[in-house]
Amino acid sequence: MTRTEGEWEAWMAAAQAGDARAYDRLLRAALPLLRAIARRRIQNAAEAEDAVQDALLTIHTLRHTYEPERPIRPWLVAICERRAIDRLRRHGRRGGRETPIDDFRETLASPGANQGEVRVASAELRAAVAELSEAQRTALGLAKLEDLPLAEASARSGMSVGALKVATHRAMKALRKRLGAED
Amino acid sequence: MRNEDLIGELAAGLRPVRRMARPGRQAGLWLALATVAVGGAVAVHGLRHDMAERMLLPQEVLQWTASVVAGGTAALAAAMLARPDRSARWVLLPLPALVLWFASLGWGCLADLVRLGPMGTQIGTSWGCFKFILAMGIPLAGAQFWLLRHAGAVRPGPVLVLGGLASAAFCSAGLSLFHHLDASVMILLWHGGAMALLTLLGWLLGRPVLWRRPVGRATPQHRD
Repeated sequence: MTRTEGEWEAWMAAAQAGDARAYDRLLRAALPLLRAIARRRIQNAAEAEDAVQDALLTIHTLRHTYEPERPIRPWLVAICERRAIDRLRRHGRRGGRETPIDDFRETLASPGANQGEVRVASAELRAAVAELSEAQRTALGLAKLEDLPLAEASARSGMSVGALKVATHRAMKALRKRLGAED
Repeated sequence: MRNEDLIGELAAGLRPVRRMARPGRQAGLWLALATVAVGGAVAVHGLRHDMAERMLLPQEVLQWTASVVAGGTAALAAAMLARPDRSARWVLLPLPALVLWFASLGWGCLADLVRLGPMGTQIGTSWGCFKFILAMGIPLAGAQFWLLRHAGAVRPGPVLVLGGLASAAFCSAGLSLFHHLDASVMILLWHGGAMALLTLLGWLLGRPVLWRRPVGRATPQHRD
């Protein structure tokens, strides 16, 4: 830090005169400082990075107000602190109005109301199963729902192993198609 | 956009800027403008006829000086606070003069009460005072806000209040030079009331000037 004593101030003075390289150097050198200030105030890394961005844009807008005979760090720090506080306030206001519903399994007070989606889905599934042929329904029930080995399923249903395989495969395909899982 | 890329963009589009005058100079500029404006109004109306006697009374002189000093210090404090790196304690600068001024007015009220009794200082209306302070004060406060418009990005609130206060104090001081309001309670009520209103109006009307979005463009979306 002692090595850069007066260097940042000189870069900013040059930037005020239009020296783009000095300006680039200054902002890049100051970036870790700005990030540290924002991170100290804001826990969320992306939000803190947004505050740094706001600070950079404010520094750019206010660059004509910097007085080169004064140290630049307090000037940069004050701007970045301000933008970080603004971000926090905006975030706080937004947070007060909104509740993230993804975190909650239940969103409505009535228990039945929260199961609506599940009920609709199971009704659709039942309707789709009802459209299958008798052999496909049997094969699906034994092989997939009861999870029986093919030999046992064959013995229970009286269908050959080959016929069971085909019927199960067709049933699954029909269901997928019907429920939109496959075009 | 990553901040490293933003820096590249800002540097690539860099234009030379004219460095802003120091805050003391800005305050001086505004004080000169206010003195000319209020002085002009005093010249048009003419000094009050009992001016010479009034200026022999120490309390009157103290009161008037305190109002001018309050205006001047409020203007300087506003210019200082408009810069990000100046101490927030500048806001205290006009306080001693303000306290002195209002204490002197309050003391005057008590003195009137003792001298004339409760019936002697009946409260009348003085819309003229009110109108002058507002009509003169609003443009002066407007000039102050325009001069210090860079404060919006960092510290708009105190600058708005102090700018309004500086304008109101100067107008009140000017008004005292040509307008007859002998009872302190009247001055306290009408000058103080107009000042409070002007400060409030400054806050409300100055917000659009200073409280723009702090940065030159809409909040950019950036994510890596």
